Amino acid sequence: MNAIEVQELSRTFGDFTAVDRVSFEVKRQEIFGYLGANGAGKSTTIRMLCGLLMPTSGVARVAGVDVVADPESVKRSIGYMSQRFSLYMDLRVRENLEFFGGAYGVPPRRLAERIEVCLERVGLADEAETKTGALPGGTRQRVALASALLHEPKILFLDEPTAGVDPESRRRFWRLIRDLSATGTTIFVTTHYMDEAEYCDRIGLMVDGELVALDTPAGLKATHVPGALVRFDGPNVRKSLPAWARAEGVLEAQPFGAGVHVRYDPNATTPERLADVGGASAYKSVAPTLEDVFLAVAGR
Amino acid sequence: MRRFLIRLAALSEKETLHMLRDPQVVYLALGLPLVLVLLFGYAVSFDVEDVEIAVVDRDHSAESRGFIQRLDESDAFDIVVALETEAEVEPLLRRDEVKAALVIPRGFAKSLLRGEETRLQLMMDGADGATARIALAYAAAIGQAETEDRMADAIGGIEPPVQARVRTWFNPRMESAQFVVPGLVAVILAVLAVLLSALTVAREWERGSMEQLFATPVDRLSVVLGKMLPYVALGLLQFVLVLTLGAWLFDVPVRGNFVVLVVAVTLFLVCVLGQGLFISMVTKSQQVATQIGAVSAILPSLILSGFLFPIENMPPLLQMIARVVPARYLIVTMRAVLLQGRGFEQVWPSLLSLVAIGAVIVGVTTMKFERRLD
Repeated sequence: MNAIEVQELSRTFGDFTAVDRVSFEVKRQEIFGYLGANGAGKSTTIRMLCGLLMPTSGVARVAGVDVVADPESVKRSIGYMSQRFSLYMDLRVRENLEFFGGAYGVPPRRLAERIEVCLERVGLADEAETKTGALPGGTRQRVALASALLHEPKILFLDEPTAGVDPESRRRFWRLIRDLSATGTTIFVTTHYMDEAEYCDRIGLMVDGELVALDTPAGLKATHVPGALVRFDGPNVRKSLPAWARAEGVLEAQPFGAGVHVRYDPNATTPERLADVGGASAYKSVAPTLEDVFLAVAGR
Repeated sequence: MRRFLIRLAALSEKETLHMLRDPQVVYLALGLPLVLVLLFGYAVSFDVEDVEIAVVDRDHSAESRGFIQRLDESDAFDIVVALETEAEVEPLLRRDEVKAALVIPRGFAKSLLRGEETRLQLMMDGADGATARIALAYAAAIGQAETEDRMADAIGGIEPPVQARVRTWFNPRMESAQFVVPGLVAVILAVLAVLLSALTVAREWERGSMEQLFATPVDRLSVVLGKMLPYVALGLLQFVLVLTLGAWLFDVPVRGNFVVLVVAVTLFLVCVLGQGLFISMVTKSQQVATQIGAVSAILPSLILSGFLFPIENMPPLLQMIARVVPARYLIVTMRAVLLQGRGFEQVWPSLLSLVAIGAVIVGVTTMKFERRLD
């Protein structure tokens, strides 16, 4: 049985369709990434799956339970970390964990053990008595993660867990996510960081409320950005975009960061020839990233 | 059941920590009662003392001087000036140098001795209606006493056949503070409880922690009760504080059963805390909740509770509304227990009313507490 099954799930707010007939499955123990820009419908989807928001139509089963019919039973088997940091700043780390553990109904003696285990797991055993508001952002996120693990959920929903967190803390957080997955937890995570999405087993790509692509990172790249990719850097490469776009064998030319990414059919042209076309002095062959996928899909 | 208790304990523990760590709450909870007790205890006084009065004695007789002395001896009036003509009175009243003037007409003594109807003129500044009314009553009483004395003399040592002897029970000296403090308890508890509880839910909505809380399988009754319990404890503490201040500063007695008071205060707190939580849940904004909370707490408990104005004198519509104002039942109980020394046998109808109001408020609040974001 799949951990999450979603069929034709929709949610509207007045005239605005936040989530538009989305269907997907998440397998057990999978890290499922939900990728999209802000406002693409990621948080709305996650809230419906957590029983916090009623779907307008469609069906969602989480841990085998219909989220509309029995949201309370869903809540018991999942952990949720909302987009906004939502622990209590005026409480100590341990007090926050005691509160959320209690809210999940974990008996006191069991809870004391779980708090130690979860703090150990997120590497914060020494910070138990620190006031939560005094911790840096990345550390707070780990406290929030610990608070979502106290009742040993089978599925963990993380809504933009690393938004606004420094790169080192983000890497550390993702190591935790992978560890959790390795020990049997299913993870549903939203992000708008394309580099983070590479860590996911499978990715759903959301654009304007629609799920436009769903595959493994490698599969998405093969489908949406076939061919080879070459990067040109230099002061004037942007001006040559139209020339590259017209050149023979070019599948797509896109601005990328400060430079340009040109995707081409290796059987029809070579990077050297493309460098000549654009008047670029140097080129670099690069592997396609999910950002290329996103640009290719969202740009259509 | 065990899970419910675990959740309830977790929620009230968390709320207690918030309360203790927020210096504003502590100041508000302990400072405001102190300020209000002093303010109401000393300033809100229905006792009228030393009303500045001018006297115009046109009669210059032993009788007129006797009456003026009687007036001067009473605590109600303070003779500040003796005038010769009525014309001098008006400027003094206008300049607010006196609040009242007594004119004794020429021939006062003569008509008094003849046993004719004798008139005195009292002029009052009616701008301060409450003071004027009470001062008038005092003046009338002084006139009445004079009349009775004279009648007794005339009849020759025989007491007048009908004589009203007024004895005020339970508050023999008619001191306002004894009357005010019980009402003040209700106002202070209502204001603080509604304000503080109105903030708690709205604050969680604004901070986003409500979403995190709703993602747990917590039941709504634990949330509502969990938020209430610490504030019930705080309210009882305030009650003891106000009562102690009242006893110490204004000699407010505790004649009846203290347990009855604790029960009444607890029930009352449940009502007003429920009111605050309800406001907070509906508005979801701290600012709006504070404003609605303040108005909905202060006005009814001040005006419709019998604290300042007797409910029996209100128009029927207001009397109807006053039936569901919890402060009314607390004040009735407080006065009954503190001043009249009553117990459960006499005040149970009020307690029952509080139970009913509280049950409705908590019930509606719990039902209304949607654990969803839409």
